[in-house]
Order: sequence, then C-alpha cells, then structure tokens
Amino acid sequence: MKRRHFWKMAAGAGLALAGRPSQVQAANEPDLRATSGKPVYFRGWQYKTDIVQSNVNRYNATMGGHVDYGTITGDYPAIMERILISGGQLDVLYGNPSQAARYFDGGWIMPADQLPNFSEIKADFLPSLWNASTYKGRLLGLSYFATTRGTIHVNLKAYQEAGMTDANFPKSWDELYDQVFALHGKGIATPILPHWFNDFYGISWAFLFEVLNRGGNVADDETHKPALTTDKNGPAYKTLSAWKRLWNDKIVPAEVLTYDEAAFIGAYGSGRYMFSPQQLYDLETFNSKGQSQIAGYDTLLPVQGQSWGLINHALYLMTTRKRPDAVTDDVKKFTSWYGFKDESGKVAVAQRWMQSSMLFSAYKSIMNSSEIEARIKQAVARPEDYKVVLDIYSATPFPKGAWLVTWSEEYNSWLKDSLSNFLVKDGDITAMINASNAKIKELNEKYGI
Amino acid sequence: MASERFSPFRPAGRVRTFRRSGRDMSDTQFALAVAVPVLIFLILVVIYPLGYAVWMSFQRIVLFGGYHTVFIGLKNFADALDDGEFWWSAWVTVRFTTETVALTMLIGLGLALLLNRPMRGGGLVRTLVFLPWCLPLFAAGLMFAHVARGQTGLGTSIAYALGIPVSVDLMTSALVIEVLAVGAAWTMAPLVAFFLLANLETIPKRLYDLAALDQLSGLETFKFVTLPPLRYTLFVFTSIVTVLTMKLFDFIFVMTGGGPGQSTATLTYLLYKVSFRNLNLGYGAALSLYLLFLIIGATLLLYLAWGRRESRR
Repeated sequence: MKRRHFWKMAAGAGLALAGRPSQVQAANEPDLRATSGKPVYFRGWQYKTDIVQSNVNRYNATMGGHVDYGTITGDYPAIMERILISGGQLDVLYGNPSQAARYFDGGWIMPADQLPNFSEIKADFLPSLWNASTYKGRLLGLSYFATTRGTIHVNLKAYQEAGMTDANFPKSWDELYDQVFALHGKGIATPILPHWFNDFYGISWAFLFEVLNRGGNVADDETHKPALTTDKNGPAYKTLSAWKRLWNDKIVPAEVLTYDEAAFIGAYGSGRYMFSPQQLYDLETFNSKGQSQIAGYDTLLPVQGQSWGLINHALYLMTTRKRPDAVTDDVKKFTSWYGFKDESGKVAVAQRWMQSSMLFSAYKSIMNSSEIEARIKQAVARPEDYKVVLDIYSATPFPKGAWLVTWSEEYNSWLKDSLSNFLVKDGDITAMINASNAKIKELNEKYGI
Repeated sequence: MASERFSPFRPAGRVRTFRRSGRDMSDTQFALAVAVPVLIFLILVVIYPLGYAVWMSFQRIVLFGGYHTVFIGLKNFADALDDGEFWWSAWVTVRFTTETVALTMLIGLGLALLLNRPMRGGGLVRTLVFLPWCLPLFAAGLMFAHVARGQTGLGTSIAYALGIPVSVDLMTSALVIEVLAVGAAWTMAPLVAFFLLANLETIPKRLYDLAALDQLSGLETFKFVTLPPLRYTLFVFTSIVTVLTMKLFDFIFVMTGGGPGQSTATLTYLLYKVSFRNLNLGYGAALSLYLLFLIIGATLLLYLAWGRRESRR
C-alpha cells in the first residue's frame, strides 16, 4: 500500500467514526441532541446518586448536553415548592404525583404531553399508571419508577421459629393485627414494625394505604370531598383502633416516630421484627447478605382477596421557569431521553433502574420484557415469590382522591403530625377521623374545590 | 489649625483633625466615615430583614396562584395566642433551653477545671475536647440519633454487653427532650470550657498558695478563689448559650424531626413547619417575633437577676 493510500483510508475511517453518533440515532427517534449550549438543571432526592450521575454523564457525552445534576437534602416537597415559587435554577425534577398535581395547578410545571414523541409515550404507559400520572387530562411527567409501598414483608425465619407456615399468612389487615397481638401475647416482643417513620411518606402514607386496602378512601376520587366515616367497623376507625392498641401495649418502640426511611429499613433488616410494611423493591435489600440480617428469609404476604399498600411512583417533571426557548427545547429533549427512550430507541434509564435496583416502571416495554422475571427472581427468597410480587403489584390501589388534588401536600403534612400526636397523646379515634374530614373540607374551600 | 496625619501611636486627646485627600476632617466627619459603613452593613443585614419580618407579620401572604399579600393587622399574633401548638412549642423551648443551658455550663465548667490541671499530652487532650464544637450540628444530630435509639444505640449495646437482651429506647416522649439537651450541651460545652479555661489561667497562683496557708478545703478554695473571677464569664456564657439554644434548629431537625409526635417541636421547629412546609409566611413571621421576644425576655431576665450584680462587682 502506498503511503498516500494509507492516509486516505485513515482519513476516511476517521470521518466515518466521527459521523457515527448520527448513524446510531434510530431512524424513527426524534433528535435529542442539545443545541442551546446552556445548562439544564436537574434535581432530585438522594437515591443511588452514582447511577443518576452516570446516566447524566452519558447524556452529556453522547447528546452534547450540559445537564447539571444535584440533589436536595431535607424536606423535599417543601424545598422544591420554594424553588419553584422563586423561579430558581430548576428545569427537571423528581416528583410524586401528589406534588406534581400541586405544581401543575401552581403553573410551575409543564405537562409531558408537550413532548414531541408523546403519542409513543402514551402507548407505552400501563393503563393503571397512566391514570395515576394524569391530572385534568394532562400527563404530569415521565415515569421514573413505579412500585408498591406498604406491601407486608415477612421475616420467614422469625415466623417459622414461632411455629407458623405460609398457610398461616394473614389475608387482611384485621387478620394481620389479630396474629400480631396473639404473637405478642405468646412473648414475641416486636412482631411488627409499622410504617410510622417521620418522613413525608411515612406515617401519613401508612394511614392512606391501610384505609385503601380495607376498602375505604380518605377523599372521594372525583370530588375530593372527605370520605372517612366514624363507623366503628369502617376502615379508618379499625385502622386507628389497631394502631392505638399497638402503641398503648408498647408493641412498637416510640423511636419509630423519629426514624427516617434509612433507619426504618435498617430496623426491619435487623431481624427484630416479624412483619413490616415496606417498599416492594426492598425485597432485594432484605434478601442481600451484608445489607440485612434476614437475607434469604424475606418474603411477602400474598394477595388473598385484599390488596396491600399503595402505588408509589415518581415522575420526571419539567418546570416552566423563565428561560430562552432553546433551553426549554433542551429541557424537553433531556427529559425525553432520560424519562423515555434514548438516541438508540431504548428505554435505557428505566431499564437500568429495573436491573440495578428492581425499580419497576410505568412502561409496558419494561414490565413486559423477558428480563423482568429473571430480575425479580434474583431478589426474592423463594422462586414462588415471583408470582406474589406480580400479584401484589397488579392489585395495588392508588389514592387518587387525596393525591391528585392541589392540597395533597398540605393535607399530607397535617396528617403526618396529627397521626403522630394521636398516638403519643392517646387521642380519640372519632375526633381524629372528624379532624381529617374537617381538614379536607377546609382545604377544598381554600382552593375552591 | 495645623493639620496632622493620623497616627495610632499618638497619645489620645492630641489628635484633633485628620487629612484625607488633601482636606481636613473634623472629629465628626471622621466618626461618620468610620461609622457609616458599619451602619449601612447593620441596616442591610439586621434592620432590613427585621423590618421585613415585622411587615410580613401583619400580612396574609399567598404564594399559590400568584404572589399577593393582604394586610390583616394583628391577626397573626392573635392566632398564635389561640394556637395550642404555639403554647406547646413555647413550653418545649423553655424546658429544652433550661436543661441545655444548665448542662452546658456545668459540663463546660467541669471541663475547664480538668483542663486547667497540668497533665501529660495536655495539648492533645484540649484538641480532643474542643472537637465537638467543630462538628457540624447536622452531623452531631445524626450521631446522637444513632446513639439514643434502641435499634442502634449505646443503651442497647451496654444492656447486651451485660447480658440483658433488651432494647433501650431513649427516644420516647418522656425522655427525648433530655436526650436532646445532652446532645446540644455536648456540642456547646467545649466553647464554654475554653473561655473559662482562659479565665482560670489569669488567676494568680499565689491566691491558691494563700488558700492553702489558710487551710481552705477544696470546695472552699473553689468557692472563694476560683469562682469569683469566673462569675462574669459564666453570666456572659449563660446568656450566649440561652440564645443559641433557643435558636437551635438543625440539630433538632436531624435528630428527632420534632418527634415523637410533637415532643421536641420547639418554637424554631414550629416556625420551620409553618413557614417552609406550610408556606404560611405571615403567621411564621409573627411566630418568629414571639421567639425574638422570648429570647430578649430571657436574656433581660438573666441580666436583671444576675448580670447587673456581676457588672457592679
């Protein structure tokens, strides 16, 4: 080969490589490359920040983006709301639907149906999660994760040592509490760790899911009017009655009310408790040696007529703060890339969350994939638990009446404090239920609902 | 009048005028030149925010659906007086402050007396004793939460070490304020100790020699020789620690989050909840002014009951 030919070939190969990103771009995918050259501010709560940062780095490297990723420490909904009100540097953020509905009514976020590939996104959404992610007919954001919070984890080792088997698994909250009180009567000090921790998604969400699982509702799904009754056989009364007994009989340590989620997970993972409502995906944590004292022994109460927990999902939201149109275009491109499909047409970020952390997704392309079975089976203690996981997930309700409404966060904050006080001060059950209804009525009046 | 260039070494009383940019400055001009920047700084960082807080306390501030304010007079102040949560938080604040101040001063004094004794590796010991003051309150809060909880705490570890398999939960509504006070004192006592230590080192050794000649007991020596020169410092630091404790927020937020229930919801915690979680800024401003009154009242009371007497000595 002559030297001149060699350099021509080398130059040709170089040009081909340089042109590669545009060839990787799938034919039908929108062009998601950033064009403004300006930063896009992406903020979220602290969860596996190394994974988020590496996803962001990949976007910046492959799509020419300038995404600035950071986390928020402290009271997430309150801090985010302050940033949104002040128009601070925030373009894309995590949010639960309850926060997103409020932000939408405040005019601080733009709906995801403004994304260019919206019809494709809509087609890929699971119907139940579509309903839980849309408000006033608009899609609030793209799916970050979707799971069940409040599914009842069982420490099989402790359960079997107490002479129980799967056949004894409670089928409802009433049966669960009956068993807890009976086990306590037999000398088991801490049969249950309730979901009463001190984060904004702790004790207040525990009340919501228990009432939902028992067939009730805190607020009507459509009118948002208060829906709790003081009937002694009603869901709210039975829930608070059981809680009161757990507290007054000192079955639950008072310190639970001061835990953050990490302490709450750590407490159940210590093996001291037999039952605990936890995140579905934390099966993996509890069954992992090095992270839990009950590795290989954590299972779930199956759905046997009654659901457990509530849908806990989070979305990627886009703000409406003042910025040049070119930056807003970059915000949409990044959100689309990060929250749905990347340049190669893969739902890559959601897929990675599923693989790395067993975070489920609202997208059919993830949940119907062949990999999900293998992934769940890696996390469970027993192969048959795979079906239990899917059954729980598919039966989980969503508190639309209390969450997809402007006042959701205000009510949640009030409920958190009120329920803690109810326990500590040995409050009256009927008064607590009436106070909840009165608070919702007051909030409906405040916002003209 | 002959002009003179200002010299800090010139005897007082002889400097009458100052030359600046070729012009003479009178005493008044010079005083203004020195004081005005300080006054501007104070207006910016103290008076403006305070004035703004006072203005906010008379308003109902709506941030949702577009910012607007409505003048409501003294309603926020009246609402606070009708609010059971406010009175509960005021009581928690007083209880927490009293316990923290007492513990901080006792631990600080104890540490100062210990450090005042000659010892090997004294420099290292002093550094170690001072470390808690350097620790961010956020980190101290996390640490004490772990230490006090039955799940991870010291009490449980000791119980298990003694062969008693029980979980010792100190984060109960009956005990949590005391635990919080111990934690807060742990972070503040080193500062008190070091100022008292500096004070102790100024006491002439001959006074102790004379006390020994007079055959005073240890307690009498402490009472008649050691304590008198420390009294004013003790008063000053009691006041400082009172103010710091009443203002304390981050340590409480991290360690207990105001709980269990509202057991540790001090006024600062209530203020945070009202202003930053519920975004009720007008009411929050009124609460902050009540807290300010409480702080001023407490320090004034200290001055009248103790400080005035000490300053006359």
